[in-house]
Amino acid sequence: MPIEDNRPVKVEVKNLTKRFGDLLVLDNMSFNIRKGEFVCVVGPTGCGKSTFLNCLTRIHMPSEGDLYIDGVPADPKKHNISFVFQEPSALPWQTVAENIAYGLKIKRLPKEEIDQRVNQILDLMGLQEFRNSYPGELSVSAEQRIIIGRSFAMKPDLLLMDEPYGQMDVKMRFYLEDEVIRLWKELGSTVIFITHNIEEAVYLAEKVLILTNKPAKIKEEIVIDLPRPRDITDPRFIEYRNDITDKIKWW
Amino acid sequence: MEQVNGKQKTIRNVLYWGLPVLAIALIVAGWIAFSGAHPDLMPSPATVWSRFIKTFTKPIAKTTLLGHAWASLKRVLLALLVAWAFGISFGILIGWNRKARAFFGSIFEVIRPIPPIAWIPIIIMWFGIGEFPKILLVFIGTFVPLVINTSTGIELVDRINIQVGQIFGGNNGQILKDIVIPTALPSIFAGIRTSVSSGWTTVLAAEMLGANAGLGSLVTRGWQGSDLSLVMVAVITIAIIGALLSVILQKLEKVVCPWNN
Repeated sequence: MPIEDNRPVKVEVKNLTKRFGDLLVLDNMSFNIRKGEFVCVVGPTGCGKSTFLNCLTRIHMPSEGDLYIDGVPADPKKHNISFVFQEPSALPWQTVAENIAYGLKIKRLPKEEIDQRVNQILDLMGLQEFRNSYPGELSVSAEQRIIIGRSFAMKPDLLLMDEPYGQMDVKMRFYLEDEVIRLWKELGSTVIFITHNIEEAVYLAEKVLILTNKPAKIKEEIVIDLPRPRDITDPRFIEYRNDITDKIKWW
Repeated sequence: MEQVNGKQKTIRNVLYWGLPVLAIALIVAGWIAFSGAHPDLMPSPATVWSRFIKTFTKPIAKTTLLGHAWASLKRVLLALLVAWAFGISFGILIGWNRKARAFFGSIFEVIRPIPPIAWIPIIIMWFGIGEFPKILLVFIGTFVPLVINTSTGIELVDRINIQVGQIFGGNNGQILKDIVIPTALPSIFAGIRTSVSSGWTTVLAAEMLGANAGLGSLVTRGWQGSDLSLVMVAVITIAIIGALLSVILQKLEKVVCPWNN
């Protein structure tokens, strides 16, 4: 179901392959992501999703193939790649505002720019009143919001999210999913969101990449053509969900 | 119901204020009883108090009690400043840099278990009994706990926090400064606390072996002159200063590591 999309290609993954010794984890993966696109990656547990992400962030180097941003091989020093970890990863010794400013300070942005972006994120996320609190004083979900805000504050070329809501209950997940969509729309970031929750993928994504079992390949790309805000009880929503579930279930 | 709870709370408050007071009262009562029964072995609190007053009216070695306390404190603080600067840097170095740890680690492991007091004969033979050898001894006694706590704190840094630094493109220096050292700060502070108490212990030992001023010299002087009241005055002063130092450090830790409360 190809739909017209004029946005330029932002991220190009070409023949990405990763081996650990003899163990092939990622097998020749290729796909493109357009600028400002929201892509969800789903796949069976243990299919190599984390390795996939770690190759994109350069925590691991790919064995073959590569990741290109704006046509150049990705380089964390040059490009702005942001990452939201599955585990809470706010820095406990920094206040909420300092955490959000953290990446901006490393990039040595001017102080006014940092203040402006931090305030924008705090406003967008309703964290303004907690700006001087420490993460340890807040709930786990607030901490997760801090690190999501920290990543969006970077206005990243590419924002990677690794099951950021994996540990949360349904109510909190719905709330944070809407939050992430709001930030994404407001800031126009390009997002790769990894999840094992198919409903979450259909709710969030413009495009879903389905991975196969290990060694991971791209099994299929599905464009989710649903208006927002999406309704999880909409028959078309359920159709997408069942379709993806079947594709993950049957090899 | 609420009234009962309120009442229980008051009782609990009284209890937790009262118990420490009771403990001190019991010690004083025991002291009075013991000194009453064996006046030759233990001066009574009243005798110690009048001896305390006398340290101001009739200075010992031309110095009042305050002067002696300051002499000890000055040695400890000087040594501590140097030890903090070197111990924390060295701890960071061997905690962060594997080559440095490989090189210095074994030497440090050998030196580590030597009690600081064991250095006294060597230090006196090399440097005499002036000011420098005392400060050097305190330095040795405080350096070790600082290095151990700092390097352990650095090694305990959460992998994910370092990855956060890497993802945002921090270089090694930035990761060390922004991520690793702050994570290690509570451990570094534990090292500072240990260093202060071990420094205080070492300075007294050093002073007891030969000094004109300092609380340790008062202990020795009282002991050799069979002036047990003076020994008690010195010991209680040592205890009070030690307790004050630890209170100050606790407050300081709350200021330096506010997230850690």
